Amino acid sequence: MARPAVILVGADKGGVGKTTVARTLIDYFGAHQTPTRAFDTEWPRGTLKRFHPDLTEVVDVTSVSDQMKIFDTLGSADAKVTVIDVRAGLLSSTLQALTEIGFLESAKKGQITFAVFHILGPSIASLEEIAETARVVGDANYFLVKNFVNNTTFFEWDPATYNSYFKKIKGAEEITIPKLNEMAYEQVEVASVPFVSFVGNKGPKGEAANYSFVLRGYVRHWLGNVWGEFDKVKLVDLVSPKMESNVRQVAG
Amino acid sequence: MSFRSSITIVASPRPRVGKTLVARLLTDFHQGENRKVVSFDLNSGERTLTQFLPQQTVAASVRDVNGQMALFDRLVTDDDTTKIIDLGHESYESFFTLAQQIDFIEEARQRSIAVAILFMVTPDQTSVTAYRNLRDRFPRAMLVPLHNEMLGSAQYRDKYPISGSGGLTVKLPALAPGLRKLIDSPPFSFANSNMGSATDVPLDAHIELQRWLRRIYLEFRELDLRLLLADLSSSIRFGS
Repeated sequence: MARPAVILVGADKGGVGKTTVARTLIDYFGAHQTPTRAFDTEWPRGTLKRFHPDLTEVVDVTSVSDQMKIFDTLGSADAKVTVIDVRAGLLSSTLQALTEIGFLESAKKGQITFAVFHILGPSIASLEEIAETARVVGDANYFLVKNFVNNTTFFEWDPATYNSYFKKIKGAEEITIPKLNEMAYEQVEVASVPFVSFVGNKGPKGEAANYSFVLRGYVRHWLGNVWGEFDKVKLVDLVSPKMESNVRQVAG
Repeated sequence: MSFRSSITIVASPRPRVGKTLVARLLTDFHQGENRKVVSFDLNSGERTLTQFLPQQTVAASVRDVNGQMALFDRLVTDDDTTKIIDLGHESYESFFTLAQQIDFIEEARQRSIAVAILFMVTPDQTSVTAYRNLRDRFPRAMLVPLHNEMLGSAQYRDKYPISGSGGLTVKLPALAPGLRKLIDSPPFSFANSNMGSATDVPLDAHIELQRWLRRIYLEFRELDLRLLLADLSSSIRFGS
């Protein structure tokens, strides 16, 4: 049986597209038939839950009872992947809490697969977060995500400055979320459905919908590129190492 | 003949090769076959197709998302209508880039709509490359070279190999310059048995024009059959 995997999606700044990235991750694992659950820490009202109501629970990550709800069930839950959409400003404190409860130690021992998707904001302060977060994250799989989905993000820092921060972190990998046509993005928001449902012309309950073919095409193309980025960092292999080794055994 | 919906795109990356004339002929041909037909004029400048066929033509654009939705969402609508696209050279690349990005051919296939691209062949390298490029980008579309004999008699068969799904070349026969002038002056409709308002057309010119039309319509009927065959074989192969 594959060991449980936890993916933390966060940033210390708001409005950088954490929930969008979390949604693409849930869709990605769904497409790979990897059972997934999600926790939305925008307590009490979660945005992620609006798009994935069946998989998502809204929690207050600072409360012990909700921490138990997430981490004490890792081994027993049907879902092998747990995606946590961390509310703006709570990434550092969440990581600190994970250290205190011994979660990071378990990850270090290989009992749990742990990955952090750190969504970068536009300011130089955002780069400074990298070093701070990396220090706490330790041996986790650390992904720096440049999110261009709305193209509203103008990165103030230049590539050289970014690279100097990036190179400081051993084993960090970079993921780029490309821009999605504004109208297409907006229509998915209005529809309040997962990206894959929008592409498949399905409503919130799986009923046939009537979304624009052009906008669905834009979303399909964009989602394909996002998933290409996840493929590039071998995300499925990361969360299903057991499955991968089985495949290797079968392949001889 | 039971004909399912079809979309024919008349295309070339070059201007002034006869695209609009072919789109007009196709529109009138389908009307003559008693089919519902709508044409889309993707020429940003003169809108010649709109001038000739104002009732059947919709001015279209792919420059912004609203225009793209107005065009492509209507193209894939199952409304039992034959659709013709007069793709102006300035919209050529953006149209096909978008079509590829949104997987237009596959969507049409899923909705049982046959798509044919009538490509105006010319000897220049730009067109030859564009044709090969289309073959690679849209392997499941019927790509048909169209040879406009008014531009010359050379065939360029080696430059425009016939694609497997199309399997034919359409020829637009040459027409005497005097008659060419007549048909290029709006309003003029090939569908009208009196040839539009050209009541003063001499009898011999009228006969010549009818003969010319019969030849091109014969080519279009052949194209129709190929489309139907491709559609049927696709249905059998994919079980749709």
